[in-house]
Amino acid sequence: MTDHPNGEGAGMPPLARLLSFIDKPHNVTRVFYLLLAVCIALGLSDFLYHKHAYFAVEEFPAIYGIFGFIAYVTVIFLAKGLRLIIKRPEDYYEPFAIDTEDERAAGSDPEATGGKPHA
Amino acid sequence: MPEIGTPALVYMIAALVVPFVRPAMLRQLLLLAVPVLGLLTFWQLPYGTYGAFNLMNMHIGLMRLDALSYVFGLIFSLAAFLALLYAWHVRDTVQQVATLLYAGAGLGAVFAADLVTLFVFWEGTALASVFLIWARRTEGAYATGMRYLIVQVGSGVILLAGIVLFYRETGSIAFSRMDLESPATWAIFLAFGIKCAFPLLHNWLQDAYPAATITGTVTLSAFTTKLAVYALARGFPGTELLIYIGATMTLFPVFFAAVENNLRRVLAYSLNNQLGFMVVGVGIGTPLALNGTVAHAFCHILYKALLFMSVGAVMYRTGTSKASELGGLYKSMPLTMIFCVVGAMSISAFPLFSGFISKSLILSASADTGHYFVWLALVVASVGVLEHSGIKIPYFTFFAHDAGHRVKEAPFHMLLAMGITAALCIGLGVFPSLLYGILPYAVDYTPYTVTHVVTQLQLLLFAGLAFAVLIRTGLYPAEIRSVNLDFDWTYRRLLPAIIGALRHVIVGTWRFGVRITMGRVDRFVAGIYRAHGPQGPLARTWPTGSMVLWIAVLLGMTLVLAYI
Repeated sequence: MTDHPNGEGAGMPPLARLLSFIDKPHNVTRVFYLLLAVCIALGLSDFLYHKHAYFAVEEFPAIYGIFGFIAYVTVIFLAKGLRLIIKRPEDYYEPFAIDTEDERAAGSDPEATGGKPHA
Repeated sequence: MPEIGTPALVYMIAALVVPFVRPAMLRQLLLLAVPVLGLLTFWQLPYGTYGAFNLMNMHIGLMRLDALSYVFGLIFSLAAFLALLYAWHVRDTVQQVATLLYAGAGLGAVFAADLVTLFVFWEGTALASVFLIWARRTEGAYATGMRYLIVQVGSGVILLAGIVLFYRETGSIAFSRMDLESPATWAIFLAFGIKCAFPLLHNWLQDAYPAATITGTVTLSAFTTKLAVYALARGFPGTELLIYIGATMTLFPVFFAAVENNLRRVLAYSLNNQLGFMVVGVGIGTPLALNGTVAHAFCHILYKALLFMSVGAVMYRTGTSKASELGGLYKSMPLTMIFCVVGAMSISAFPLFSGFISKSLILSASADTGHYFVWLALVVASVGVLEHSGIKIPYFTFFAHDAGHRVKEAPFHMLLAMGITAALCIGLGVFPSLLYGILPYAVDYTPYTVTHVVTQLQLLLFAGLAFAVLIRTGLYPAEIRSVNLDFDWTYRRLLPAIIGALRHVIVGTWRFGVRITMGRVDRFVAGIYRAHGPQGPLARTWPTGSMVLWIAVLLGMTLVLAYI
C-alpha cells in the first residue's frame, strides 16, 4: 500500500504500512460499519445458545450490549459535565507541579523534540 | 540457594554493590540478575516461616512463605525483572539503587510474618520509591516527591501507632487476620488504606506517578499499591466495609480518567480503579473472591506495567505523554502500538487476555454472595476501564489525528520488556490454569463459557461502538491541555488558603495587641517620667532650709507623740 495520502508510505515501517489504510476517511467509515455489523451479530447470537444467567433481566437479548452502550455514553456525558467543574489552566498548581514542565526531564531520548511549549 | 531469611537481603546487598560496578554493561547484567537471585531464595522452599528470632520478647519472622505471600513474591520478582529490563538504557545510579531498594522492600514487606518487620519494609518502600520521582530533578518533581513522601511516611507512622496499640492489647505482633474493633486495628486499616489509595486518600497516586521518570513510573506502578492489597488480603479479609470502599474506588476514577490529558495520569486513575476490584474481592472474603483478588493483582501488575511501558516508550521518543500532543504514532512505532493494544485489551478484560480470567472471579464472587448492586457497579466500572485504558490510551497515542511526530521505534530493550509482558498477558489469558494453579485456594472456576464470552464481548464491543458514535458525532470530549481538580485541591489549595487566612488573622491580632500594649506602657512610663523625671516634682532640687524645717516639724511631732 504505497498509495498513502501524504506520500510517505515508503518511509514507514512495513507493519505500519499494513495499517495505513485507516488514514483514509472512507476506510474509517468501513471500519465503523464493520464494528456495527459485529455488534449486531453478537446481539443476535443471544438467540443461539442457552444463557446461564444470575438475574432474570439477563435473559433479555443483547442486554449486555445495550447496557454497555448506555453505560459508556453515560460515563462520557457525566465526565464532560465533571470537566466543566474541575477544569483549570495547566499552570494552576505552578510551580509545585510537573504539569507545565518540559516532560523530557523525565528521561527522554536526547533526540526527542517534546510537545508544544506551554503558554 | 542457602536460606538467608528474606529475599529483600539480596536486593539490599546488590544496592550496596551496584554503585561500584563498572562498566555500565556489567552493572546492567548484575541488576537483571538480582530479581532472579531473589526469586531463587524462596522459589523451591517449603511453606513455613524463616528467619525467625526473638527481639525484646517479640517474635520476629522475616519470611513467611505460604500460598498468599508466594504469589505476591513471584509477581513482585517478575515485575522487578521486567522494570529493570525496560530501564536497561538508564545510567543514573540513583534510580538503579532506588529501584533495587524499593523492589526489595516490597518483597520484604510481602514476606513479613510480623507487624514490626512489615512496618520497617513498609517505610522502606516509601523512602526508596521517592527517589524515582526526585530523579526527574526538576522543581515540580521535588515538590511532588515531598507531597508523596509526606503521605507515604504518614501511612507508616499511623501503622506504627496501630502496631504499638495492638501489641499493648494482645501482647503479640503477629501479622494475621484482624477485626475492625479497636483503635489499634482501625489505625492499621487506615495505614493500609492510604497506601491502597482508598477514595479521598488516593491523590498521592495520581499526583506522584506521572511525575516520576519514564522508567520510574513502570517500577512504581507494581509495588506500593499491590503491597497494600496484599496487606488487606492478609489482615482484613471479609471486612464488609471494604466491599463498598472498593466499589467506590472502581467508579469515581473513571470520570476523572476520561477528561485527563496526561496519559500517565490517566493510567494512574486506571490503576486506582483496578485496585477497587481487588479491594472488593478482599471485602467479600470468600475463597473465590480472595482468589480473584490475588489473580487480579497478578495480572494487573503485568498489564499495567505494559501500559506504562508503552506510554513511556512513546514519551521516550517524542518527549511528551500528553494526549493533546500525540496521535498517529502507529506510523512510527507500530510494535509499541501492538504491545499497548495488548495491554489495553488485557485491562479491558477481552476474552483470551489476562484481565478476563482474573476480573471475572471477583465479579462472580460478588454475584454469588448476593451483592447485586456491587456487581452492577463493577460492570459499569468495567465499561469505564474500556473507556480510559482500553480505548483512550491507544487511540489518542497511536491513532486519532496525526500530531506529526516522526520518530524511531522504541529501543530494543524496551520492545523486549514489552514483548515479554505482552506475551505473559496473552499467555495467562489463553491458559488460565497456569495462574489458577498457584492461587491460595483451590479453584473450581471456568472462565470460558459461551455465556461469559458472548456477554463480555457484547459489553465491550457495544461500548466500543458507543465510542465510535461519539467520535463521529464530535461529542467525545476533546483532549485539552489542562489540569483537573481532584480531592488533592483541598490540601494543595484550600488548606494553604485557610492557613494563610489564619496567619493573617493571628498576625493582625498580635500586631493590634502589641500596639495597644505599647501605648499603655508608653503612657505608664510617661507618667513615671512626669513624677520622677528631671523636671518631675519628686526630682526637683530643694533648698537646704526647707529640709531643716521639715526635720524640725518631724522632731516636734515625735516630741508631741512621746508625751501624749
